[in-house]
Amino acid sequence: MIKIENLSFSYGKKPIFENFNLEVKDNETLLITGINGVGKSTLLRLMAGVLLPDKGSILIDSKPVSESKKRIGFISDKMSLYNDMTVDSLIKFHKNIYGLESFYGSLIKHTKIKYDQKVGKLSVGQRAILHLSLILSQSPDILLIDEVLPNIDAYLRELFLNELLKVISEKEITLVLVNLNFYDIENLVDRVVLLKDGKIMVDEPIEYLKDRVKKIVCEKIPGKLPVIYRQRVGNLDEIFVYPFDDNKEEGDFEVIDLDLTEIIKAFIGGEYVN
Amino acid sequence: MRKNKIIKKGFEIKIDNKSAVPIYEQIKRGIKLMIISGHLKNGDPILSIRELASKLKVNPNTIIKVYYQLEAEGYISSKPGSMYVVDIDKERVKKEKHSFFKRETQEYIAKIVSMGYTPDEAIEEIKKYLTDKKREEGT
Repeated sequence: MIKIENLSFSYGKKPIFENFNLEVKDNETLLITGINGVGKSTLLRLMAGVLLPDKGSILIDSKPVSESKKRIGFISDKMSLYNDMTVDSLIKFHKNIYGLESFYGSLIKHTKIKYDQKVGKLSVGQRAILHLSLILSQSPDILLIDEVLPNIDAYLRELFLNELLKVISEKEITLVLVNLNFYDIENLVDRVVLLKDGKIMVDEPIEYLKDRVKKIVCEKIPGKLPVIYRQRVGNLDEIFVYPFDDNKEEGDFEVIDLDLTEIIKAFIGGEYVN
Repeated sequence: MRKNKIIKKGFEIKIDNKSAVPIYEQIKRGIKLMIISGHLKNGDPILSIRELASKLKVNPNTIIKVYYQLEAEGYISSKPGSMYVVDIDKERVKKEKHSFFKRETQEYIAKIVSMGYTPDEAIEEIKKYLTDKKREEGT
């Protein structure tokens, strides 16, 4: 279990988190989301031990992150992968550091990555795949993945996700994802955490959100609904409501179910508009 | 679901992410339908948790939940080596098949009635449709 307790962190004088708390259970797949600049990637980097908290603690099974680094795999497109090295020497380098048992060579087979190629010459997508194969070779039981997928082409993205799926099927892995393309990962996620101003605004199982976040289309907005975001389409109002209770609400409106992308868009849209 | 088995159109498991019906429930219904329609028969092995998760691109935790519930509801049972097989008797299949038929009929009638037709008109229309179809196939 990952346990974040009373965490405070700031960039210079700009506080990002103050007394922040979050727990991630073993074997859980958690999606962290929120508007740009809210601190999603910062939180992930703190969990990975790349950044250190000003105050508070991050424990992995009661041990500090610094003592658990071997268990953590962190993937981010902001991380440099030794651009001047060839792919081959990078793999050897990793083997020496982490004592890899087996390299996930099969993963880079059909990616046009050549072993004698300089890492810096790879495309964003190829780098992500190479990075994933190196990380998986460490056999981590916690995988932290920052938004690496948006810049990758559809083929490599599917390769990446299929490998992820295979890994979480084969062993118990705690997976924390930041803002990946929601459409791709919709059915991988167990739980969604939405950050706002350094705090958790929503923290719910995905099934609960799908049940309780609804779009309502109407000519006149019913007064008492908990609206999180609204937009006008022609002469109709579209409102996004949370939490919506199907059994309680009645009125002259149409209730529409949403997928994860639309749910998150509604929350984030509300952040910008309200 | 079963390896090397062709599933007739309309009986494959489809996931609708825009539905409020939870994913595990959608998958569960899909497998039940395969069993009561006879696509999967008693004793047939079904895909492992890992295989089905990969195939449908869902979290294995979801499939674990589905198989657990299907086992509890008496549709499948687990065998050594994390294998799952269909485990249901003929009478139960017959019963479930009939309640499926009843549900579909009720839904159809409710829709037709809400359009302003009477159930008798629906029956007439079904008869007419079937006669026309037979004639078409006959020629």
